[in-house]
Amino acid sequence: MSDFWVMAMKELKNLFRDKKLVFGLVIVPLILLPVMGKAVSVGMEQAQETTNVAIVNFDDGEYGRILIKALEVTPNVTVTVVNASSVEEAIQRAIEEKQNVLVVIPPDFTAKLKANETATVEIYGIFMSIGAGVKESVSEGRINAVLQVLSDEIARIKVKNLGASNPDAILQPITTVSRSVINNNVVGVPPTVVSGVIAAQAFTIPLIVFMMVMITSQMAAGAIASEKENKTLETLLTLPVPRTHIVGAKIFGTAMMGLVAAIAYMVGMKYYMGSFGLGSAGVSLEDLGLVVTPTGAMLFALVVFTTIIIALSLAMIVATFAEDVQSATTLVSAVILPLAFPAFLLMYTDINDLPSFVKYVLLAIPFTHPVIDYRYVLLSDYRPLVISLIYLAIMALAILYATARLFSSERIMTAQVSWGRKKKRE
Amino acid sequence: MPMVEVLDLEKDYGKVKALKGVSFSINEGEIFGLIGPNGAGKSTTLKILATLLKPTGGSARIAGYDVVKEASKVRELISYLPEEAGAYKNLTGKEYLEFMAKLYAKDEAKAREMLELGMELSGLGERLNDKVATYSKGMARKLLIARALMVRPKLAILDEPASGLDIVNAYAIRQMIRRFARSEGVTFLLSSHNMLEVEYLCHRVALINKGQIVEVGTPKELKDKYSAENLEEVFMTAVGANISEPIGGEGG
Repeated sequence: MSDFWVMAMKELKNLFRDKKLVFGLVIVPLILLPVMGKAVSVGMEQAQETTNVAIVNFDDGEYGRILIKALEVTPNVTVTVVNASSVEEAIQRAIEEKQNVLVVIPPDFTAKLKANETATVEIYGIFMSIGAGVKESVSEGRINAVLQVLSDEIARIKVKNLGASNPDAILQPITTVSRSVINNNVVGVPPTVVSGVIAAQAFTIPLIVFMMVMITSQMAAGAIASEKENKTLETLLTLPVPRTHIVGAKIFGTAMMGLVAAIAYMVGMKYYMGSFGLGSAGVSLEDLGLVVTPTGAMLFALVVFTTIIIALSLAMIVATFAEDVQSATTLVSAVILPLAFPAFLLMYTDINDLPSFVKYVLLAIPFTHPVIDYRYVLLSDYRPLVISLIYLAIMALAILYATARLFSSERIMTAQVSWGRKKKRE
Repeated sequence: MPMVEVLDLEKDYGKVKALKGVSFSINEGEIFGLIGPNGAGKSTTLKILATLLKPTGGSARIAGYDVVKEASKVRELISYLPEEAGAYKNLTGKEYLEFMAKLYAKDEAKAREMLELGMELSGLGERLNDKVATYSKGMARKLLIARALMVRPKLAILDEPASGLDIVNAYAIRQMIRRFARSEGVTFLLSSHNMLEVEYLCHRVALINKGQIVEVGTPKELKDKYSAENLEEVFMTAVGANISEPIGGEGG
């Protein structure tokens, strides 16, 4: 085995046997994210169960009966007609029979409709316990939708009775048909839905990239600082191994750990998102003509990989200025966090809409690239990806070179940041 | 050709002059001791020879190789044990020795041989299968010295090999060094502020104070010269009784 692999294997063993690290990076996302998703989806599923609706009808006209019939044929709604002499009694009955919603049809319902006045239906959501109340609100929404349909239907009849030939044109003089143009293709999906799908993606990718950059750079810093803290660095640097191999092995070890953590996060996120259908909104990316091709996926993977290498080397440089793991992680956060944070700005804005000064400042930061490049991947526009990749590769090489240089100098032994007065020589 | 040749070595840490022209040489197979108080420049000298620090002035050669210009060549010949060194806590003692053996050995057979020697030298037996994190200070030090010696270096540089250990562990470690020097003919450069340790182990010693070599000779020569009973008295007389607060780098 070559020096590099011997060193790399040691790094892997040392990292993967660190119980705290493995727990925080792999176990937590694998357990916590699906559990969080499950918790949300249980609420949603309950809401999708049949709603038990109690109806009390104080009206003896025809429209009251039409309303009950309309509700009876509504999917996922079980209607129970209760007999009561007052609203209070009806509520009591509804509670006793564990109904979710009570619909009260007032005595003058038919009369008002006939007199061309507005009739009012009362809806009571019954909270059995003080939970999130998803079920009750969904039920109310469902009943409102039914009432809306009914209301439209009655309006149409009334307009027709007034002698109009096309009641729909009077009730809705203007209608809209929304379509979207994506990547020069017309897609029969409203822009709101498209932006919803894209927004879900736009939030997820920066978040994952940000997490990966922070986690792996903290790990790389920890790997260097723990060599200092455990007093193993001096021995390491006197071994008959080229310094580039030492740096390379450390980057390899942390990148592997980062990869495992990334997979854990992706799997966790998939369960989290999948559990309540976020990002789909009934429409998949394919429906919008946005397909990630193998070329796009590969280019994007390379962009993310190079970004992580940059973060790792940068973290290693920063960590050489720290005396122990704790100050290394603090230092790395102080340096990487402000660099990675602007990526979040791009969740809300398109980089091309920004003033050119801001745009180029953002583009100079390596961590911005995966966020903007993902959009190009969706649009199958690979030129910006290749440009990103060239820029990132140059940056990575420069920073790797600086790291190797630092490890070849004695500065790695002597460099340290003084923390005010605390760091006085003993 | 001497194994180690140090000439007018200087080292500045900013304004502090840790070494002010240190010169000495060590012959092959010799156990050479560098003794002096804390901050005298012992560790700095050792770190320069171990290729960790670069001298501000002067030169140092090991087996004829310059420690700055031919650092990688020097690293193949030496084995350095820093003061207060540690091992990787998540590895077992055996894995640690194996890791080091593989880096020094050119082939599998040689690595196995080194590992076996290291396991024997450490004297840790079954505990070698436990993680380093569970070791006591004495056990960890034995493991590290075994690591430094098992590769059979041309020159072993040991900074305070038995510092901070109890009598039993310190004694065991001195025995290990002495036996190994005799059986393998390895050249040793060690630093200490324990005069007894140095007298017991070293063929020749150099007294260092405030970044300068005060005396060099065999323990007997020095005791005779200063009509002293032990090296401690030699040292106190040689540097003058009034030793002011030492200056220099932390730990040496």
